Amino acid sequence: MTALICGMSGVIIASVLLAQRGRAMFIRRIPGLSAIEEAVGRATEMGRPIFFSPGLDGISIVTLQALAILSYTVRLAATQGARVIVGLRDPTVLPVAEESVREAYTAVGRSEDHRPEDVRFVSDDQFAYALGTVGLMQREKVATNFFFGGFYAEALILTENGQALGALQVAGCPDPTQIPFFIATCDYVVIGDEYYAATAYLTREPTLTGSLVGQDISKGVIIALIVLGIAIATMLGDDATHNVLVQLLANGEAGVIQTIGGFIRFFTGRGG
Amino acid sequence: MGTGALVLRILLSLLGSAALLYALHRVLGPRGRRLLIALVTFVGGLFYGLEWFYPVSPTTHENFLTRWIEPVSTMLAVVMAFTVGLGIYSLCHVHGRNVARQRPGWHNSLAFFIAMIAMFIFGLWEHYLHLPEPVPAVMPYPKAVYEVLFSGLLVPLQAATFSLLAFYIASAAYRAFRVRSAEAGLMMAAAFIVMLGQVPVGAWLTSSLPQTTALGFFRLENLGDWVMRWLNTPAQRGIMFGIAIGALAMSLRVWLSLERGTFFSEQS
Repeated sequence: MTALICGMSGVIIASVLLAQRGRAMFIRRIPGLSAIEEAVGRATEMGRPIFFSPGLDGISIVTLQALAILSYTVRLAATQGARVIVGLRDPTVLPVAEESVREAYTAVGRSEDHRPEDVRFVSDDQFAYALGTVGLMQREKVATNFFFGGFYAEALILTENGQALGALQVAGCPDPTQIPFFIATCDYVVIGDEYYAATAYLTREPTLTGSLVGQDISKGVIIALIVLGIAIATMLGDDATHNVLVQLLANGEAGVIQTIGGFIRFFTGRGG
Repeated sequence: MGTGALVLRILLSLLGSAALLYALHRVLGPRGRRLLIALVTFVGGLFYGLEWFYPVSPTTHENFLTRWIEPVSTMLAVVMAFTVGLGIYSLCHVHGRNVARQRPGWHNSLAFFIAMIAMFIFGLWEHYLHLPEPVPAVMPYPKAVYEVLFSGLLVPLQAATFSLLAFYIASAAYRAFRVRSAEAGLMMAAAFIVMLGQVPVGAWLTSSLPQTTALGFFRLENLGDWVMRWLNTPAQRGIMFGIAIGALAMSLRVWLSLERGTFFSEQS
């Protein structure tokens, strides 16, 4: 398993290096991410604010990705003169989000439009956060909602109220248990690994594009391993102790040596 | 170590940390700060990665880094604890302005201050009461007030909010199951089979199909189980594989400071 993780990491880093050397790489269209521009434009036209939630998690990979999307969204909104309100549940995210928003305004030369109070800590309690956020959305009459990050049972409370407000909603969550709720209630949803493709897709910078292509190659490897595993299991039965692939991934070389005997017995027809 | 010495150490550590951070902030420019963040991120990632992957001793089940896990985690907890203060400051800033300028709905902000201060006072008071076990029938009033605030108000409010989900699920399901496209039709059909397969009336509807023959597959409870096991589970696992690889790629980008945006350098 360690070898597999290291191998995939190697593939991703190699793809990044290749992309940095100028190799052109193709990224397929992701409607949920393309919709960010439309959603910001809608808020600008309506003259109403945008609400952005980077989820309930503390500083983690999921939240860092959400903050990268926040940074892009704020730049876009600042360019068009739209206001972005950020609601946070975890206080550890607060300084990072504040800095992201401030830098985004500075980057597009609109520092004077930056309102520090628009990045708000709502509550560290899950349902208090949900209600506080819903209240915020209602009071500010938001035109667009962005929900990117780790969400749990409160997801439906947030998005159903957003629906009731008539807001255009774009969501992205890496948790498969919450994705169906977002699909049922949001206009655009970024699912699964598309979530981690966001910065690459939005910025089209070679380093990130290369990383995305590395991800896709790694997925290809996983699919190949699944097909191989199915083939072996079909031939040798579904007993994992006889499956050379399962043993390789679980126990390394020792497991493989142990199961090669099983292979030999199968093909020579001597028991097993 | 005595209490006085401990307090002194804590104060000195706080002052030292503040002085160090201030000096770094003054000395380092934006480029230097990014470099420092990249360095700390790399060392932190390397520490946790090595601790996880480096072989452990067969007797102690630890490697040379394991004993540092606890101090590093404690350090992180202390750093994160400071951000709670930032959160409280943010709340007070937003709500304080609402009250001071008497903006529409300012009474909600006032309610926030009353609730926060009351919970803070009675929470601490109750914590340091040192009540005997079992708690006497007539509770001292700080404990009684705390019980009213916590068990009598906060917990029921949380439960009430959670219960709202039942209604939201119904309205979201109604919207999702409107058959407007082929995909929505497929989802409706799958949901119909799975839901009927979970309830007695579903089993009753197809109970005439003999379980032991090939037709038994079409009994709703078997069909629902098949949809969950052979269609839903592989799809969920496929998504999980994608998410895991995406997280790995993102982690590598953050660890090696290849990520773009705030706290990471812009690519030219």
